[in-house]
Amino acid sequence: MAVPRGRAAWRGSLGSGEVAARTAPDARRMLQLALAGVWLLDGVLQYQSFMFTKAFGQMLAATAAGNPGVIASPINWDARLIEHHDVALNAIFATIQVLLGLGIACRPTVRAALGASIAWALAVWWFGEGLGGVLSGTASPVNGAPGAVIIYALLAVLLWPTDRRGLPVPFAAARAVGAPAARALWLVLWLSLAYFALLPANRAPQALNGMIAGMASGEPGWLAAIDRNAAALVAHQGLAASVVLAIALAAIAVGVYLPAPAARAAVVLAIVVAAAIWVVGEAFGTILAGGATDPNSGLLLIVLALAYWPARTAAVPRTQGHAAEGMPK
Amino acid sequence: MTIPASVLDIFAAIMLVVAAVSAARLVALRPWQRGRGAVAADIDISHLLMAIAMAGTLAAGLRTLPNDAWDVIFAAATAWFAYHVARDARRAGIRALSGGHCAPHLVHSAAMLYMFVAVTAPAAGGGSGMSGMGGSGTQTLSLPILAFLFAFILIGYSIWDLDQLSGPGASGHYSLAAARIRSAGPALAGTPALAGAESPAAAFSGPTSAGSPTSAGSSSAGNTVATVTPPAEADRTSSCDPDQVTGGAGHLVLAPWVATSCRIAMGITMALMLIIMI
Repeated sequence: MAVPRGRAAWRGSLGSGEVAARTAPDARRMLQLALAGVWLLDGVLQYQSFMFTKAFGQMLAATAAGNPGVIASPINWDARLIEHHDVALNAIFATIQVLLGLGIACRPTVRAALGASIAWALAVWWFGEGLGGVLSGTASPVNGAPGAVIIYALLAVLLWPTDRRGLPVPFAAARAVGAPAARALWLVLWLSLAYFALLPANRAPQALNGMIAGMASGEPGWLAAIDRNAAALVAHQGLAASVVLAIALAAIAVGVYLPAPAARAAVVLAIVVAAAIWVVGEAFGTILAGGATDPNSGLLLIVLALAYWPARTAAVPRTQGHAAEGMPK
Repeated sequence: MTIPASVLDIFAAIMLVVAAVSAARLVALRPWQRGRGAVAADIDISHLLMAIAMAGTLAAGLRTLPNDAWDVIFAAATAWFAYHVARDARRAGIRALSGGHCAPHLVHSAAMLYMFVAVTAPAAGGGSGMSGMGGSGTQTLSLPILAFLFAFILIGYSIWDLDQLSGPGASGHYSLAAARIRSAGPALAGTPALAGAESPAAAFSGPTSAGSPTSAGSSSAGNTVATVTPPAEADRTSSCDPDQVTGGAGHLVLAPWVATSCRIAMGITMALMLIIMI
């Protein structure tokens, strides 16, 4: 037998087709992996020492404030339970999130893990985030509304590894649910953010200033400086800043209904706004200050925006209706 | 305010398993024997050292070497893998930094170096340096943004590795399903070397004797198939490529997925340690 020459030939002896195939995940798979990474990061953050104390339960209890009784009561019950069993329950929570991340990253388990992540995200949205303050009138796009974890669930739905047969796929998020439904979900999310930006609590003269300045506490010097400068920029400009933000968010919301060039511009704007929110408004989810449970909504909004990046429109072949990218049926 | 010792002990136990597996791979690989120097023993050596160091950091009772010694060890490992990444980059361009085989090991080594250099003394009691996170004081890292970045990249590599490990194109070669390889029979020249393998040991059998490339599919009635690896070619290729780490038939522990699994476990544990010390 002739000995293969060169690196490519050597690899070829191992099965070139297989080697090539294993290194080429498509755009949706890359986004699934990004979601897996965020879940894994969440799990790792949940192992921080702060989470193993009663303070974690108290933090959850604080999210009940302002919510209707039917929403707040289960949150208070859950918070008390966690305070009494802080070590065991937190270890379980952290492990679940690590497993969700690993499950999404592992192709044979991606469907089960995405399904479980939706259920877990909805539970955390209620019991851990008080529905993101949506019902309490305190939600703001700058501090994580409508709750970071609900965006995990939305991503899991949009990135579900199924293709709708024979339909055009203008962007990755449309592959599982179809373009009309994906666009509608985008519209609802970003319009709701625009609405939250205009809530009385957020358009008060010093509302935005106080929100951003408050993030500087405990952060490294450079990040605290960014927050202080940004806060100074919007001091006493709460109404104007809120209106500008709401207009930008509304433009992003309708952008996906526009032709591809304009849709691309809307997605770029979404990424820029989400990055600004993540850095300035959320201070990277306060991970650098310690005690963060997740990277907050900015990072997730960036991942979501990438899922709507207009691609060359192409119909999914009927033969790919199932088992996309080698996923099990 | 510390993490319960039982939680840290679990991660320390995982690191001990990684250390044991890496040691077993080194023994099976016998890199000290003539002609075997080309295979990537450096990966297993670095895995072994990192796992021991992390186990000692997670559980004080498992501490082995002083911090200064680990500083030197991981500085050397970082330099070694940096050299390989630079060499790959010269050959393959900037893609070597993101998709190369050595880049993850460089990040792992650099993260370990950072962890031991940047650690500050516990706020209360517990002595100085990294002497077990379960101690009474809280250890923190200076330049926390670096810890965050390292954790972010390590999680990214772990996720990527797991995706590649379980990918459809990897069937029979790189995946956890390698033990369930299809039909037996002599492998033909030019066909995938795994085609005739029925066991992981066979599937991952590798270079035979130095200087004498062996034809595939010749031994044990076609059930044990040796992969052809010209020694000179092996020398030229990156030493970090897990595909290169193949051994004689009968060594499941030498399967590439074993090394990748170790890397995933270490990446997650390292990210955890970095985050909880921010």
